Amino acid sequence: MHISDGILTDQWCIIWYAVAIAFAAVGVWQIKKRAADNLSYMPMLALMGSAVFIISVWHIPVPVTGSCSHPIGTPMSSIIVGPFATVILTMISLFFQAFLAHGGITTIGANTISMGIVGGFSGYLVYTGSRRANAPIWLAAGLAGFIGDVLCYVTTALELALSLNPTAVMSHWTLYAMGYIPTQLPLAIVEFIFTAAIVNYITTVRPDLLSKIKSTKGGVSNGR
Amino acid sequence: MVDKFTQTAIILLVVITALFCIGAYIGYIGGAGMEGTDGVVEEHAAEIGGREATELIPTIGVYGDMGEYVGFTLAGVVSGLIVGYLWTGIFWRREDA
Repeated sequence: MHISDGILTDQWCIIWYAVAIAFAAVGVWQIKKRAADNLSYMPMLALMGSAVFIISVWHIPVPVTGSCSHPIGTPMSSIIVGPFATVILTMISLFFQAFLAHGGITTIGANTISMGIVGGFSGYLVYTGSRRANAPIWLAAGLAGFIGDVLCYVTTALELALSLNPTAVMSHWTLYAMGYIPTQLPLAIVEFIFTAAIVNYITTVRPDLLSKIKSTKGGVSNGR
Repeated sequence: MVDKFTQTAIILLVVITALFCIGAYIGYIGGAGMEGTDGVVEEHAAEIGGREATELIPTIGVYGDMGEYVGFTLAGVVSGLIVGYLWTGIFWRREDA
């Protein structure tokens, strides 16, 4: 989902930047508020920032399709530190990844939309919705990872179609999404597994952390 | 004697590395190029839309495949150290938790 510089039109780069900055502004406010309430929050953010950075450049070979791609890590991050804070972590990760020839500077806004906002928020909503439906934590977290991952790539396909093919958005959106999906589906399963494992692990060994952070609806006490 | 956390971490490390190697090997003997999907789809889309990817900033990728390999390795080592260092401090099991 790392769109490079020069691919999107200037108009769309500006639009995606504006939307991403609006979410990031709320993220800054939320981080300040939570960090003041909870001393564990800043090291947790640093940890999640590193995790999102490395997971989203972690190219995994998929022999079935003869290609490789990467998971995104933002659904896990938004469950643990909150979706708005995850937008900030995504922007920082994407900035540094641009120096590794992954993405670009003018496309940080667009890439933040797909990975940080759509990937993060959809994962968070799936998690909270599944928990309300009494799904076990591992299943709720795993589904969040899976759906967040797939929707991230569907959004990237939409961004490409909107910018490059404004007269035939739907057909090109489908075309680009079909290009991503065969490689991305196995990786969405990988995302399911590690999101489920990590969130479940944290709620087992340190349930106090998540309930303090309040990014899990209803905390963890009624979580299993 | 290694504790349970370290045992789990080492087993996971071995399993993940093995999966990478097996996946890459199967792709290699199958004759696949293992190209990144991001790049393939993006290039295809750019071609249809009549645009071209540009590099606005100097990237580690300009030093060729080896530069990219070194860059990803360094990024992985630094991020891994940060994650590992903070992980044990934050997520260590506490009896009173």
